[in-house]
Amino acid sequence: MMQHFPVLAVMLLFLAAFLVEIFGSKNKVIRNGLTLLATTNALVMTLALIKPVMMNGEVISYWMGNWAPVSGYAIGIGYEVDALSLFFGILVTATFWLSSIYSIGYMNKDHHLGHYYTLFLMLSGSVLGLVFTGDIFNMFVMIEIMTFASVALTAFRNDSEGALEAAFKYLVIGSIGSSSVLAGVAMLYSQCHTLNMAQLSSILSGGLTPTSVVAFGLIVAGFGVKSYIVPFHTPAADAYAAAPTSVSMVFSGMVNKAGVYGMIRMVYIVFRAMDHSSVQMLLAVFGAVTMFVGVTMALTQHEFKRLLAFHSISQIGYVITAVSLGSALGLTGGLFHAMNHTLFKGLLFLCAGAVLYRTGTTNLDKLGGLSKKMPQTTICFLIGAGAISGLPPFNGFASKWMIYQGIFTKALTSGNFLYVIITVTALIVSVMTLASFIKVTQAVFFGQLREEHNDVKEVPAVMLIPMYIMAALCVICGTIYPLVSKYLLFPAANASLNVGDYIDKMMGAGYAEAAGVPTMLVEPVTFSFWNPVLWLILFGIVFFAAVIVILLGTNERGKILTAGEKPEAKYATFFSGEEEMFSQVGGSDLFWGFKKNWKGYYKVFTELHSGIVTDYTSYTVIATAIIVMCLFIFMR
Amino acid sequence: MQILLFLVKVLIFPGALFTACVGLFLAGIDRKVIAHMQKRIGPPIRQPMYDFFKLMGKETIVPARANKLVFLGAPIAGFISLAIVMLFIPIFGFTAFSGTADLIVILYFLTIGGVALIVGGSSSGSPYAGIGISREMVTMMSYELPFVLVLLSVARKVGGSTLAFSMNQIADYQAANGSLLFSWSMIPAAIALLLIIPAEVGMQPFDVAEAETEICEGPLIEYSGAALGMFKLNTAMKMCIMTGLFTSLFLGGIRTGTVVCDAIIFVAVCAVVTLVCITTIHAVTARLKIEHLFKFYWTVVSGLALASLILVWMGL
Amino acid sequence: MFKKLIDKSASKSPWLYHINSGSCNGCDIELVACLTPRYDAERFGFKLAGSPRHADIVVISGPVTSQSRDRLVRTIAQVPEPKCVVTIGSCPQSGNVFKGSYSVEAPVENFVHVDVAVAGCTPKPEAIMEGLYTAALILKKKREAMHK
Repeated sequence: MMQHFPVLAVMLLFLAAFLVEIFGSKNKVIRNGLTLLATTNALVMTLALIKPVMMNGEVISYWMGNWAPVSGYAIGIGYEVDALSLFFGILVTATFWLSSIYSIGYMNKDHHLGHYYTLFLMLSGSVLGLVFTGDIFNMFVMIEIMTFASVALTAFRNDSEGALEAAFKYLVIGSIGSSSVLAGVAMLYSQCHTLNMAQLSSILSGGLTPTSVVAFGLIVAGFGVKSYIVPFHTPAADAYAAAPTSVSMVFSGMVNKAGVYGMIRMVYIVFRAMDHSSVQMLLAVFGAVTMFVGVTMALTQHEFKRLLAFHSISQIGYVITAVSLGSALGLTGGLFHAMNHTLFKGLLFLCAGAVLYRTGTTNLDKLGGLSKKMPQTTICFLIGAGAISGLPPFNGFASKWMIYQGIFTKALTSGNFLYVIITVTALIVSVMTLASFIKVTQAVFFGQLREEHNDVKEVPAVMLIPMYIMAALCVICGTIYPLVSKYLLFPAANASLNVGDYIDKMMGAGYAEAAGVPTMLVEPVTFSFWNPVLWLILFGIVFFAAVIVILLGTNERGKILTAGEKPEAKYATFFSGEEEMFSQVGGSDLFWGFKKNWKGYYKVFTELHSGIVTDYTSYTVIATAIIVMCLFIFMR
Repeated sequence: MQILLFLVKVLIFPGALFTACVGLFLAGIDRKVIAHMQKRIGPPIRQPMYDFFKLMGKETIVPARANKLVFLGAPIAGFISLAIVMLFIPIFGFTAFSGTADLIVILYFLTIGGVALIVGGSSSGSPYAGIGISREMVTMMSYELPFVLVLLSVARKVGGSTLAFSMNQIADYQAANGSLLFSWSMIPAAIALLLIIPAEVGMQPFDVAEAETEICEGPLIEYSGAALGMFKLNTAMKMCIMTGLFTSLFLGGIRTGTVVCDAIIFVAVCAVVTLVCITTIHAVTARLKIEHLFKFYWTVVSGLALASLILVWMGL
Repeated sequence: MFKKLIDKSASKSPWLYHINSGSCNGCDIELVACLTPRYDAERFGFKLAGSPRHADIVVISGPVTSQSRDRLVRTIAQVPEPKCVVTIGSCPQSGNVFKGSYSVEAPVENFVHVDVAVAGCTPKPEAIMEGLYTAALILKKKREAMHK
């Protein structure tokens, strides 16, 4: 029974996509109903797998058309769900479920929604299929569906400025990524004569030939493009900004997680290349550069969603760096951060969408003071901003803590000064992330309200509910961290470090042992220094003490006065005695003291982000070549 | 009994009350000594206490353009986070919760103190506060790099391979091997941390964010009464925490055995550190510009901290 | 205890906010002289605050020109209670030598309630200190009247 769930979840999404196009293009109820039905079904089926996979440690497999392996060779397409797949599967389903709820409210002003939901469901189905599949060519097919659905969704609002351009960039760079994955898969097939990842893993455990090293490099570069690590990040900013916000959330919540998933699956499981320090160093450097460039570019953005897009790039840098460490601590931290990124970045995108929905702009220079009009959005945004900046007690802190620990432990054990530099980079990037969210807070939610936004209202409940769910999850994951670690992160990290079960389930018991796949004992990460429950208790106690002290002196203490309806001089903002006027400090250039010192850096990098597709293509090709060359030379 | 002890630790010693009292005391000493340096009599040492209680007795005006919840919540959030930080800084032999202290946790909880000021100022809607939060944030970015480098060099010097950032381990190491300040490779890092303290607590010459003569106290401009008092208290607590952090990172290792003696010595050492790094620098310098402040921290102070880190990395 | 502490502190930490309403700068200089080592107003807890929201005592100097009148009234309204208003010099009280000018609106009592007036052109720092200290004591009385 259970083994049908993954394939049903994926197939029903695709089926719903076609049904929506046929029956739902005119009728709103059928359209929304079908979409919600399919996404809820996928969510429920994925969550149902937690018990067998995460708790009991089973691996679930399903052969399409019952084409089981014959004499040790896997011919058919197999779906295989181990803890790693399921972990990403949960992220993916949760993201598109929340996004489909949000879309009901958010997209109601647009036309041709039948096409929108068709593409949306195809995107969801393809990413879920990518995560659940056990066949490398099937993975490539899913990447292709994902890329083209994303391109079409990016250009969905093609009457707005820049949407078509963004889609074109996405198309070109995305195709290069897909092609290099395809080239890698082809080379791998010519070497190993199989496309099943379990079998590939056991064959490749005998050592990598030069051809398979090149294939490895191409596949890593391909998934790098999909997860937007730095030289490949160029289409991301445009695409995230131009797409409807419900889709931007899906992009950052699951499409680039698909790239990260592919990277982990390839590096840890199929090629098992993490023993090579050259691979670790290469990925660590790419990750560090990604997080640094992402955040510094985000600091200069004028547009809310573009800024969030650059932060997505930056946070993926954290994930890649953590994953590159090859240790259980690093991998657990990386997976946790991937999960947290889905939560808080999704939340932030939804807040941006709420602002766009009500004011019609996301330009930071044209907003301000919305906290009086949209208080609930503001609170959600502050939670998201706190989480992405890694402030305790939100979830971002727990995962960043693990990443810092992981990198610095790596530095101490390997004695490599490079890892110290990466630790420092990670900590500084965290502060810069905070800085750029302070900028957004000041420019959008605080400061002074513009006259044209006087009649702005809070967004409807159907948009607020997904925001609240994500905000609550941000707090919960930050405080009940040990449970998350025990039931989600540790099984996933364990599955990526111990491949035996994955191979055996697919190819028959004893197959992995016969091929000489080693097993590795993984200890659960102990977390003695950061005990969230203790912190929560402390927070509570001090909070109550503060409240009691404040209440004790109600008679003695001065009163708290708030302004009434009628404007009074007493409650006016201080303008050195002048009458109150409109003067909003904020927007795009809040940190001039910082930027003045970084003039040279920004000059170079602003020129590099030229917006010309040929430039971006050449970065992509050059970086792919560099990755392949580095691996070919050093990976021995 | 356990619960009672827990409550005492959190609320009185070494938690909220102790931090607040020591902080106000250090602020008073700072004002008194600076007055003497300028040949004045100066206010009594308990003056910051008077300031705080006076502000508690005044009206708190929430401006019409402010977001009430955030405006009043920010000072309390800052107070809570700072009260908690002190629980995890070992007072020589004594830590409130052994085994839960960590340098990164302390770093981030200190950041919350700064963020509370920034978010509170931002929510008041004043353009002066807008400029103030910009400067405050740039100040935070400036001192964070050298601060991180100092913490890493301490962690490397103490050097467990798995428990890299543990405060207790640092305290134990110093008890066994003598204070870190007296190992010469750590001296540049100690100087760097001394230079970071005035920026962290917003004292001259690094008080660009709250420059009262040019931007009317920046983020604090619209605050009045109890909320302002909380922010003033937060600044004083930061003083206690930062000097305490310096004491336990570089001057640890004194263990008399009784908690009361330890605490008294701790406060005395904190006062000395305050005099060295806050009062003296405050008395002899004028305010910097924000871009110069950034440059100073990312070149001079970071250079010192980096020198220490490299020396320690080479095993000296 | 809380009440006692607050009541005691009310007069011990008066923060000043200085408004120049068209003064010739003479009184302003003398006010600054109060903070110098020779007079050292800080020993009573006096401190110059940067914003009217922080102030307890508003110090006015100058004959209140018509340009500055509204701004003066607005700023004083923004000071939280309990507060005191102190005028320095003869100008705010009478207009001094500027009396009768088309652009001068002294006396300042016409627009705001004044608690202490320090006369002189310019008053000596000792006189200013005396006035400020009196204002600090008035602060305490106001506080007690507010929280009976």
